[in-house]
Amino acid sequence: MSGAKIRLEEHRIIEEPYYLAQKNEVEIACAAHRRGLPLLLKGPTGCGKTRFMQYLAWKLDRPLITVSCHDDLSTSDLVGRYLIRAGEAVWMDGPLTLAVRAGGICYLDEVVEARKDTTVVIHPLADDRRELPIEKRGELLVAPPEFMLAVSYNPGYQSVLKDLKPSTRQRFVALSFTYPAVEQEAEIVCRESRVDRKLALTLVKLAVMTRSLKDSGLPEGASTRLLIQAGKLIEDGVDIPSACRAAVVEPLSDDPEMLAAIEDMVASLF
Amino acid sequence: MKLPELTKRFNQIVAPDIPNEWDVEEMLEPYLDQSDDVCQTIFWCIPAIWPISNGLCRDFLKILPELLGFVPLAQLPARVGEILDCYEMQGLRAAQQFMRSMESRYQERGNGSGLVLLGEVEGRLLPFIRGVAGRDLMIAGGNAVFTDTETIFLPPELAIYPKSADNILLYKLILAFQWAFLEIGSFTVFDSAEQDFKSDPEGPLWLTSFFSSCSDPIFARDCYSFLETVRAARFLERELPGLMRAWSALPRIVAPPVQEADPRATLLLELQAELLNGSLLQIQSQSSPTVFNDYWRRLTCEGASAVDTVHAVREVLAAIFDGKEDGGSGEEYPGISPLIFQGELRLTAIEAVRRQQFLRQGEELVHSLALYLAALPQEKLSQLLRSEEEKQSGASGLESDVSMIMDSEFAGTVDEHQAPLLVTINNEEVELSGEMAEEVRKFREEFGHLPGRFVSSAVGRAGEGVAPDVQPGNEQGGALQAAICYDEWDYRRLGFRKNWCVVTVKDLPDLKSGFIRQTLGKYHGVVNRLRHQFEMMRTTDRFVRRQRDGDDIDLDGLVESLADARAGLAQSDRLYIKLLRDERDIAVIFLVDMSNSTAGWVGNTIKESLVLMTEALEVLGDRYGIYGFSGMRRTRCEIYHIKDIDEPSGDVVRQRIGAIGPREYTRMGPAIRHATSLLGKTDARVRLLITLTDGKPEDYDDYKGEYAIEDTRHALLEAKTAGIHPFCITIDHQAHDYMDHLYGPVNYIFVNDVRRLPLRMPEIYRVLTS
Ligand SMILES: Nc1ncnc2c1ncn2[C@@H]1O[C@H](COP(=O)(O)OP(=O)(O)OP(=O)(O)O)[C@@H](O)[C@H]1O
Ligand SMILES: [Mg+2]
Repeated sequence: MSGAKIRLEEHRIIEEPYYLAQKNEVEIACAAHRRGLPLLLKGPTGCGKTRFMQYLAWKLDRPLITVSCHDDLSTSDLVGRYLIRAGEAVWMDGPLTLAVRAGGICYLDEVVEARKDTTVVIHPLADDRRELPIEKRGELLVAPPEFMLAVSYNPGYQSVLKDLKPSTRQRFVALSFTYPAVEQEAEIVCRESRVDRKLALTLVKLAVMTRSLKDSGLPEGASTRLLIQAGKLIEDGVDIPSACRAAVVEPLSDDPEMLAAIEDMVASLF
Repeated sequence: MKLPELTKRFNQIVAPDIPNEWDVEEMLEPYLDQSDDVCQTIFWCIPAIWPISNGLCRDFLKILPELLGFVPLAQLPARVGEILDCYEMQGLRAAQQFMRSMESRYQERGNGSGLVLLGEVEGRLLPFIRGVAGRDLMIAGGNAVFTDTETIFLPPELAIYPKSADNILLYKLILAFQWAFLEIGSFTVFDSAEQDFKSDPEGPLWLTSFFSSCSDPIFARDCYSFLETVRAARFLERELPGLMRAWSALPRIVAPPVQEADPRATLLLELQAELLNGSLLQIQSQSSPTVFNDYWRRLTCEGASAVDTVHAVREVLAAIFDGKEDGGSGEEYPGISPLIFQGELRLTAIEAVRRQQFLRQGEELVHSLALYLAALPQEKLSQLLRSEEEKQSGASGLESDVSMIMDSEFAGTVDEHQAPLLVTINNEEVELSGEMAEEVRKFREEFGHLPGRFVSSAVGRAGEGVAPDVQPGNEQGGALQAAICYDEWDYRRLGFRKNWCVVTVKDLPDLKSGFIRQTLGKYHGVVNRLRHQFEMMRTTDRFVRRQRDGDDIDLDGLVESLADARAGLAQSDRLYIKLLRDERDIAVIFLVDMSNSTAGWVGNTIKESLVLMTEALEVLGDRYGIYGFSGMRRTRCEIYHIKDIDEPSGDVVRQRIGAIGPREYTRMGPAIRHATSLLGKTDARVRLLITLTDGKPEDYDDYKGEYAIEDTRHALLEAKTAGIHPFCITIDHQAHDYMDHLYGPVNYIFVNDVRRLPLRMPEIYRVLTS
C-alpha cells in the first residue's frame, strides 16, 4: 500500500516544534511510550495540548495522526471501511488503523465529543492487549511497540454529565495541563507572536484577570492561543487596544457587561 | 377620590395587615384632591412597597406629592424600583435620604451632569475588579469609600465630572486603589521589631494598637493612610498603567484650597494637592519636610513596604513637630478628609470581617475535626472523652493545657504537606493525617493558631456522635434539603424582590394504597397501546441506503451499479449504507399543581394521568422528574419530591404519585424557578418543563391577579432564557386569555374535559417531542 505510506509521511514532523515544558510531562510521556501505555491529556482550551503532542511525536520520531472527535464520528470513521473503486470493493484503513499499522501516534482530540459507542473501540487498544479488532475484515491487529494512543479532553467547559466513562478513563496515564506560569506563558507568547517581553507579560496579566471570572459568569478565560493571536495582530501593526478587543475581548463573551468589564481591564493595563 | 374610597382601596391592598385607621387617613390625606391618574398610580406603587417595608411606604406617601412635582408620572415605577433597591441595600435611613435627594438628582440629570449611578454600572464594575483582583471581592454602595477586605464600598452615585465616562473611570480608580491597599498589605502590616504584640484573629489589628500608641493617633492614622495611598499609586502605576494614565489625563479634581491653620492638617492637605497634580514624587518637592523626601526616595528607588511607612509615620511624629504633641499650634489636630479614591481607613470594619472569617472557618474546622475524631477507634475516642470530662470537672481552665497541635518530628525534613500532624488532646496523642492535617495547617497559616477551645468542642461533638444535619421532619413529610431562596418579579417596579420566596423541598410519604393498581387495571388497554406507541418513538438506529458515503457497502446498490455498467449506462455512486441515529436526548420535569382547588376528582385524574405518563416514559427512555408544588405565603413555598430526573422509577415513585393530594395555594413563580434550576443541571439536548394546573397562580398574600401572572410569566421567560421549553396543560372549564400572555399561543393546551386528561396527556407529550 504505497498510497498509505505517502499519506503517513505527511504526518511525520520533521522540524522541532517549539514547546516549553511546564513540568516533567515530556519525561512522563516518553516513559509511557516506552512502556506501551496510552495517554490522556486534560486541560482547558488553547493551553498547549496539541502542541505538546506535536512535540512528542517529533521527539519520538513517529508520525502523528490527529482525529478531531465530534458527535457524528462513527467507528468506521476511525477503523476504516470498504470503498468501491472501479467496480471493486477496496478496504480503506481509517486513521486509527493506519496509525496502529505504522506504529505511529494516534491522537483523538476532544474525545468526550465522540459518541459513547465509538469510544468503546479504543478499549482493547488502550489496555495491555494493545489490539484493534477490525470486524469487517475479520482481522485482529496487534499494535507494534512504537504505537501510542493519546486522547484529550477539556474537563472545564462541559457540564459534569459530559464526562468520560470510568472504564475509559481508567485505562490511561493522565497528564493535567493548565495555563503555564506567568513567566513561562509570557515567554511562549513572546516566541510565538514575536512581541516584546514586556508586552507579552501584560497580555498574560490580562489573561490571568479574565481567568478569575468563573463565578462572575465567564466559564473559561483567555487562553494562551488568544494571547498569541493578539500578539500577532499587534506585530502586524494593529494598535494594542484594537488588537486586544478583536483577539481577546470579543471572542470571550457576548454579554455586554462582561465585555465592558474586560475592555476596562484592557484599558487599565495598557 | 373621596377619603372613604381611598381608605377602602388602601385596606384592600395591604390586607391581611390592618393598619391603624388614623394612620391611614393621615397617609392618604394629601391625595384627596389629586386627579384620578395620580390615585391610580399610587395604588400601583403601594403594593410594591408595603410588603417590603410599611415604614418606607408611609414615608413614600408623605413625600410623593412633592416628587410628583418633577418626576413624570410614567417614570414613577422606575423610581420606586430605585428606592426599593436602595432600601434593600442600605436600609430605611438611606432610602429616605435617597427620596429626598431625588429632586436635585433630577435637575442634574436634566443638565447633562454626567451623573452615574452605581446601580447602572455595577454589572461591569464587579467583573472588572474581580478580574483585576483575581478573587471574589464584593462591591456595595455606602456613605463612604472604604473596604473591609471582603467588600469595597463605593458612593451610590458619582457626578464629579461632567462626562459620565469620566465618572465611570473614577469608580474604577476607587476600586483599583482599594484593591491596591489589600495587595500591598496596608491593613495587615506588622512591625516585627515590636515583640510584645500577640496577633489574635479576634482582637484588634496590629495597626490599631500602633495608632493608639502614637502621641497623636488621628494624625498618625491620616498620615499613614496618605503615605499608603502614595505607595498604592506607585503600585498601580506598575500594575495598571493604562488606568493611571487615563486618570492623569482627566481634569484634576480641584483640591480644596488649604485653609487649615493647623500645621499638621496643612501639611497633609498640601501633600494631597501635590499628589493630585503629579508633583509629589519629584524628589525635590519643596514643601515636604526631609522625612518625606527620604521616604519618597525609598519609594521610588528601592520600593518601600508598609513597615517602612510605619517608620516614616513615627519619624514624622517625632521629628517634624519636635515632639510637641500639638504640632506646635496648641490646638487639637482637626483631621482632614481623605481623597475620594483613597477612602477611609476603617480598621474596625476590617477587624469585624476577620473575626467573622475566623469564627466561620473555625466552625467548619470543628465540624470536620469532630467527624474525624468520631471515626477513630472506639477505644481511643472514649479515652479522649474521659479525659475531656475530667478536665471539665477539674479546676484547671488554662486553654493551652487542654489541647495543642504540633507538627510531628517529620516536619521540615520530609515534604511538609505529607508529614502527619499530631494533636495532643489532654495528653492523648492523636495523629491527623491527609485532608484533616491539611485543613488544620491551612487554618493555622491563615490565623496564626488554632485555639484549644475549638479542639475541645470538636472532642465534645465527636462524643455526642456527630450526626449529619438532620432536619426535623413534620407531618407533611420531612424537608429533604436546606431551604432555597428565589427572587420574585415585581412588575410594578420592573425589578426583582430579592430572595423573596423560600422554597423547601419535601418528600411525599410513600402511601401504600390500591390507587395505582386500580388505575393500571382501569386503563389496561390504554397502557398496552401507549407502550406500543411509545416504543415506536424510541431511539432507533436507522440504516439509510444508497448514500454517497457510509459505514458499509450497499450490496443492492452495488449490484445495480455493476449491471448498469455492463449495460453501458451511467453508474451511480450511491453505493453505501449509512447508520443514522436519531437520539432522543430529552429531559422533562412535570410540575404538578397541588393547590386545594385540585381536591376531589380533578386531583384524581391528574394522578391517573401521571401514572399512565410514567408507564409511557419508561418505555420511551426519556429522563423525567415529577414534582408537586403548593404552599402558603412567600416564606413557605413547598416543592414535593415525587421523582428526581435521574432517580429510577419503581414502586416507591408510584406510591408517591398515589400520595399526591390537595394542599394549599398556587404560587407558581418559585416552583417554576426551582424546576428551571433542576433542568439547568441536566445536559439533555431538549429540556421540557410541563406544568399541570387547574387555574390561575394565586397565593394567600398579595400574590394574586396581575402581580401573580406577571411573576409567573417572568419565571417562564427565565426558563426560556435558560434553554428550556415550558409547556402547560391546564384543566379548566374555559380557556383564559392570560394563558396566551403566560406561555405564548402555542405553548399550552387546555383540557376542558378532565376525564379525558389521562388519555390526552401522553398524546400531548408524544406530539410535543416528535
Ligand atoms: N507549553 C507551550 N509551549 C509552546 N507553545 C505553547 C505552549 N502552550 C501553548 N502554546 C501555544 O498555544 C497555542 C495553542 O495551543 P494548542 O493548540 O496546543 O492548545 P490545545 O490545548 O490543543 O487547545 P484545544 O483544546 O482548544 O485544542 C499553540 O499554538 C502554541 O502556540
Ligand atoms: Mg488542540
